[in-house]
Amino acid sequence: MKKIALILFLLISFSTFAQKYFTKTGNTQFKASVEAFEPVEATNKSTTAIININSGEIASLLFVKAFNFRVALMQEHFNENYMDSSTFPKATFKGSISNFNFSNISSTEKKHLLKGILTVRGVEKEIETLATFSKKENKLLMEASFGVKPEDFNIKIPKIVSSKIAGTINIFLAYEFIEKK
Amino acid sequence: MSLSKKNKFIITILIVFSVIGFTIYTYAMRPPTAIENKKIDFSGSSDELLLKIIDHTEEWQDKIVVVSGEVTNIDDKGIMLSSKIYCQLKQVTDLQKINSSNNISIKGRIIGYDDLLEELKLDQCIIK
Repeated sequence: MKKIALILFLLISFSTFAQKYFTKTGNTQFKASVEAFEPVEATNKSTTAIININSGEIASLLFVKAFNFRVALMQEHFNENYMDSSTFPKATFKGSISNFNFSNISSTEKKHLLKGILTVRGVEKEIETLATFSKKENKLLMEASFGVKPEDFNIKIPKIVSSKIAGTINIFLAYEFIEKK
Repeated sequence: MSLSKKNKFIITILIVFSVIGFTIYTYAMRPPTAIENKKIDFSGSSDELLLKIIDHTEEWQDKIVVVSGEVTNIDDKGIMLSSKIYCQLKQVTDLQKINSSNNISIKGRIIGYDDLLEELKLDQCIIK
């Protein structure tokens, strides 16, 4: 009886130990600039992301309209013509970090494979990239970058501007996670 | 120095075209409108706002609201209003003006309903 109680106690304590780290204000940036033309880039400073530090699972969400451009017209075209953000307001990522061990992460940077599904405009695409992890004070920092192509998400770029937009769009992530209580 | 009629004409044309060109350029390259100058689409308490938009948050994307409520949490980028609305500040220096559990009024832009954290998100917030 005592044994069962002990096992139950352990099971319960393990299951409630699913610790999470999160951020509401992660930076997601994309760059699609071509040299000698007006830079095509924008930053979303309001990305939400949650990491389960026991399993290494990660989920993130951003609102396309929260990408801020320096030029108003570019932002308008991005939302209306390319991203169709009133129909597809969100872009999400769900995936996992391989061999993620929270206690092994220190102030020195460590790379882990980040794998998952990116959903943009309702189209799913598998992403695989190396992400850098480190700890700073009580924060968990994650940085990663990867490239996607507009056609992966059925985004048509008119011929007239196609020379000003890079064929591969680079996406940069920099998230500072804090413990979720 | 006297110019021939033809040269005067060319110079006038050049000036006119450069003015037009400059106007078009500044229009095309203008930065997004600052939140301070944007028209307000809704104004009221945090509960009123949530009640009004919760079933169709998509339509409320990019809308400018003035919302008041109790500050329930403060982090290094923004504040939580009534435990349900996260307001990311335009300038983090504004954080010094806020005390937890005070009632404040905020102007911001709705960016959407975050279903991971189950809260409404606003950005570019300024304290009224």
